[in-house]
Amino acid sequence: MTRKLTRRDVLAAGAAMGSGLAIGIRPLAAQGADIVLGGSIPLTGVFAFAGVGIHNGIQDYLKIVNDAGGVGGRKIKYVAEDTGYKVDASVAAFNKITGQEKVSLYYGDSTGFSKTINPELERRGTILMAGASFATELNDPKKYPLQFMAGPDYSEMFGILLRYCAREQSGAKLDFVYSDTEFGRDPIAPSEALAKTLGLNIVEKIVTPPGSVDVSTEVLKLRRANPDYTIFHGYVLAPIPEFMTQAKQMGLRSKFMGTFWSSDNSTVQRMGDVAEGYMGVMPYRYYYDADGNSPMLEKIRQMRPEYQSTAYLQGFTTALLMCEAVKRTLAAGKELTGVNMKAGLNSIKDFDTGGIFGVPISIPGNSVSVGRIYAFDSKSKQMRPASDWIRLGS
Amino acid sequence: MDWLFLAEVLLAGLGAGSLYALAGVAFVLIYKATRVINLAIGEILMLGGYVFFGAAAAWHLPAWIALPVAIVAGALVGAVVERLLIRPMLGESPISVFMVTIGLGSILAGAVQVIWGADPLRLPEFMPNTPIFIGDAYLAPKVAYGFVAAMLIIVAFALALRFTRSGVALQATAADQGAAYSVGINVSRVFSLSWIVACAIAAGAGVLVGAIGGISPTMGIFGLSVLVVVIVGGLDSMLGALVGGLLIGIVEAFSGTFLGGEYKFLITFSVLIVVLMLRPYGLFGRHEIERL
Repeated sequence: MTRKLTRRDVLAAGAAMGSGLAIGIRPLAAQGADIVLGGSIPLTGVFAFAGVGIHNGIQDYLKIVNDAGGVGGRKIKYVAEDTGYKVDASVAAFNKITGQEKVSLYYGDSTGFSKTINPELERRGTILMAGASFATELNDPKKYPLQFMAGPDYSEMFGILLRYCAREQSGAKLDFVYSDTEFGRDPIAPSEALAKTLGLNIVEKIVTPPGSVDVSTEVLKLRRANPDYTIFHGYVLAPIPEFMTQAKQMGLRSKFMGTFWSSDNSTVQRMGDVAEGYMGVMPYRYYYDADGNSPMLEKIRQMRPEYQSTAYLQGFTTALLMCEAVKRTLAAGKELTGVNMKAGLNSIKDFDTGGIFGVPISIPGNSVSVGRIYAFDSKSKQMRPASDWIRLGS
Repeated sequence: MDWLFLAEVLLAGLGAGSLYALAGVAFVLIYKATRVINLAIGEILMLGGYVFFGAAAAWHLPAWIALPVAIVAGALVGAVVERLLIRPMLGESPISVFMVTIGLGSILAGAVQVIWGADPLRLPEFMPNTPIFIGDAYLAPKVAYGFVAAMLIIVAFALALRFTRSGVALQATAADQGAAYSVGINVSRVFSLSWIVACAIAAGAGVLVGAIGGISPTMGIFGLSVLVVVIVGGLDSMLGALVGGLLIGIVEAFSGTFLGGEYKFLITFSVLIVVLMLRPYGLFGRHEIERL
């Protein structure tokens, strides 16, 4: 027998549902609700070469976590928007995602975005943010209390390179070659000061305009300086290969080095024959690195049998550290606020990342100041370790 | 004073300037014939580099085949763009056509990224890499061969403009479209031809630029420097493109060497302002140019 629903029945049902929510069903739902990781991701534009890898890395780590039941029983939901690596588009993506979701974690695509959105992060107080930028300025917990980076900042990368140079050759002559961009200029002044304290001699600084194609005149300056080490920063590929090619044609014996974004294995391979001996600083083990115990890299290799870039590892590791911060916050019975999650992150001490970082890491501030020098071996076509892991401040 | 060093800087500047001049010629050709300011010239140049890469690296064609493939691809793009995008805009305001070329540049950059990805790439080595010395002065081999190729193309092109029927028709159309019609010149064909030839030249220049600096979807920014070159030289002057290209190349080389790379653009754009103040129509341009 069926009974027709009357308007009174519907109103009664609605009232019952409303009162149910009011007496505690909603908090129960919130406890089990997904934790949202939003992302302003550069899937197009000048930084897309890294953005695609970062996007995949974040997704893969969250898949591992969610397949294992999530963090504290809660799944992590990833919501990303393409930004084209433009600050205004990144801010628009942030506003859209945070308007539609209750976001706890956020990945930003640039230094410009990280700086622009910082007041809004502090105003909201509910989000822990990291991103693609390793800018020195962001490594200031007082100024950027709700942000961090999954590796050393650019000055720390230079610090690792300079320590390596000082150990290899006392009083070595150095040349800094950098692009005339915020990215390129970032580590130069602090690194000049550090070089002095390490007894290194900076004989030349060469600045190239953004987008410059021909670097013949700059190589002439390099020849005059005749450094033992040339450190590139602020580039991905061009003009590094042309610099090295012309320098070698002129008979220079300088060793060439670069920082994170110019040290991906596939990027260095593209430098061609001149890549032999090119050195880069890297906080993570490379995808193919099977030395030592690295179960997380093994998982990545199972998920993706083909080579994954260091940008992928950066996205993967950032998601890993974010989830660890959430896990520690929930385990302490605290609410997922930006401050609590940052405290959870800063409680990370001698933490094993499953072998992605080659040594246990600690995050007392906004960066993970550890790295290793790798050098390109053209026979194996791989960046191979050229130093032990170097921790700054130890 | 280290004269050898100065000579090397001068040679490097001439090498870079020759590439500006070559791309500038492509820019001027379109403007001269059709009065269209083609801001997509940098992206067409980029496309040439990518097609060469695709032919040489993916299809494993030798460079002497891959280069013509890139040039023909550039010519085809020029023909299609002129017929489908530019010709329907005839008679519209110059700003509208200008915006179409900006949109075209974005489409080409996006298409390249979809096909070849966003990673910066290097072209396969196809030029001799034995260092070149003029006296004791060193010149990077790619820059030297780029200079020779650019100069040969420019000279051949100047001769073709002066002595071939198509070249004369183009000059007549540039001088007065109405008069050209009245004497039986097929002006539409001249428009097509100018886009085809200009885009072919730009694609060839893209291979040379890509051989030196590598290729990436953002390589079109090179077009900005070319715009400075043609404004300094005169938007409708082939000689202006040549002289402007070499001048800007030399200015950039010396400012970069003695002031630092951060001053290159400052000095280059200062030169642009000074030239425009003294000769608003460029060093070799004609008075009646209508500026946007």
